[in-house]
Amino acid sequence: MVTAVRNWFSERLPISGVQIAELTNEPVPNHLKRWWFCLGGTPAYLFVVQIVTGILLAFYYQPAPSTAYESIRTITHDVSYGWYIRSIHKWAATLMIAAVILHQMRIYFTGAYRKPRELNWMVGMCLLLCTLTIGFTGYSLVFEQLSYWGATVAANICDTVPFAGVFFKRLLLAGDSYNSQTLPRFFILHAAVLPAVMIGLLVVHVGILRLQGITEFRFENEPDDKPQTFNFFPDHFYTELTIGLILMILLSVLATVLPVDLGPKADPLTTPEVIKPEWWFYVSFRWLKLFSGTFAVVSSGFIVFVMFVWPFIDGWIRKHTRYTEASVWIGIVGVFLLVGLTVWEAIVEH
Amino acid sequence: MNTEVSESETEVAEPIRRSFLFAVSAAVMAFGLTAGYGMFAWLIGVFLYPFRESAESWQFLSDLGSFGVGHSLTYQSPAGQKIVVTRLADAGTVDDFIALSSVCPHLGCQVHWESNNARFFCPCHNGAFDKVGKPLSGPPKDSDQTLPQYALQIKNDLLFIEVPTTSLT
Ligand code: HEM
Ligand code: FES
Repeated sequence: MVTAVRNWFSERLPISGVQIAELTNEPVPNHLKRWWFCLGGTPAYLFVVQIVTGILLAFYYQPAPSTAYESIRTITHDVSYGWYIRSIHKWAATLMIAAVILHQMRIYFTGAYRKPRELNWMVGMCLLLCTLTIGFTGYSLVFEQLSYWGATVAANICDTVPFAGVFFKRLLLAGDSYNSQTLPRFFILHAAVLPAVMIGLLVVHVGILRLQGITEFRFENEPDDKPQTFNFFPDHFYTELTIGLILMILLSVLATVLPVDLGPKADPLTTPEVIKPEWWFYVSFRWLKLFSGTFAVVSSGFIVFVMFVWPFIDGWIRKHTRYTEASVWIGIVGVFLLVGLTVWEAIVEH
Repeated sequence: MNTEVSESETEVAEPIRRSFLFAVSAAVMAFGLTAGYGMFAWLIGVFLYPFRESAESWQFLSDLGSFGVGHSLTYQSPAGQKIVVTRLADAGTVDDFIALSSVCPHLGCQVHWESNNARFFCPCHNGAFDKVGKPLSGPPKDSDQTLPQYALQIKNDLLFIEVPTTSLT
């Protein structure tokens, strides 16, 4: 029976497992059997989850100030399993941001961004910024109090950027302040522009990755004669399938146990007492409270710039000084700052 | 799938045990994929299927005393539909009245009353109906479709009609 089905297909689709293995023949270094090297595949899988659930939500979402909140209420309370789809979208977004940050940390601390992989690091930085922006625009779509005030604050942050600020603020809001054309803008950025850009970036990211091959590492406790790679198909593909299923279970559990709810509707006349962005913006939010407007914004921009060109800075340090492991210490300080500021913002009210 | 590919990876090949393990893990994976994503696909189906019954409510039309036999009135529902209500008899029950929808039973266009021809006329495919909604000509006549009616109710000598309360605009 199985053989009959298999024959039926192989007569029509003349491809075998061996051929797929050859076509996708990408020797995968052995260290990818360790889970933390699969952190790049996790955001990729979650990205697909976001596209599927996002398309589903768009069947009901209505991006206008008079209808947005109501349509999300409908999704959450009336549509069958609407709460589930919405919660999955929310949790996958959260996990995706976490996974991207962890992925970047693993790249950083294993030095996988070093020559010749500087460009892919920069593509990765673009992906990071896109991920944060897509998270921000998505949150604004809900049109609850925090979405509205978050967007307003973000636009005014834009405003404090010297020279170009006003221009970008007007571009973002479609006017000088939040108006009836703002939400459609956020929606199309969130649901069309950014996903398209990210798909493009991912193609380049994985393309470069395949051209260069993944950085190979040796672990001290490995015998020398052990083969250094295994095959993408079916072995690594199988691992990724398993990771996908585990993520799906995790997402379902999170969505069921901690479903997303809906805060009070946006009110342009009252700012809520406690106003916080999503957790992944806690760092920059705390930073903004620590320093005066323009300095905080300009310094954040500078930090992002340094992160962008870090492979070159690191290359220079390693070539011209004797601190070849400087990146590790700088990285540790960076992670402490990141975690510290995030936790600080999380535990205080204002 | 193919065992040669993975066999090259480990030298300690114990063919029988390996192929058994391989079959088991493939079966578990196949089950996981079907159950997991199958469930999700089913959810998607349910999610996309329309959930809303259109909202309707009872609206006041007229008191019985001032609505004589043979008279008609045109009622506009809160959602904007034009409904022609006619009194045909004097028994004092709901069956005295008919409330005709202006939605053509053929393919859903709007009919309108032509007073010079004393008929409802549908411009889409030239359907025509008499004043109680019976088809006179056109496709509705061919398949004997009458104009749909709205539900009516009498309470304390007052006439009520059940109409949709939500509209597109
Ligand atoms: C949407 C976000 C992202 C996705 C889906 C993604 C996906 C991937 C995948 C699947 C790999 C293969 C290796 C692995 O799994 O560890 C990879 C490698 C890599 N990623 Fe990303 N990535 C993302 C964001 C980033 C970011 C934010 C950076 C850093 C700024 C980055 C830098 C790199 C580099 C340099 C490599 C090559 C690593 C090596 O050769 O070992 N990526 N990425
Ligand atoms: S829709 Fe009225 S006659 Fe066809």
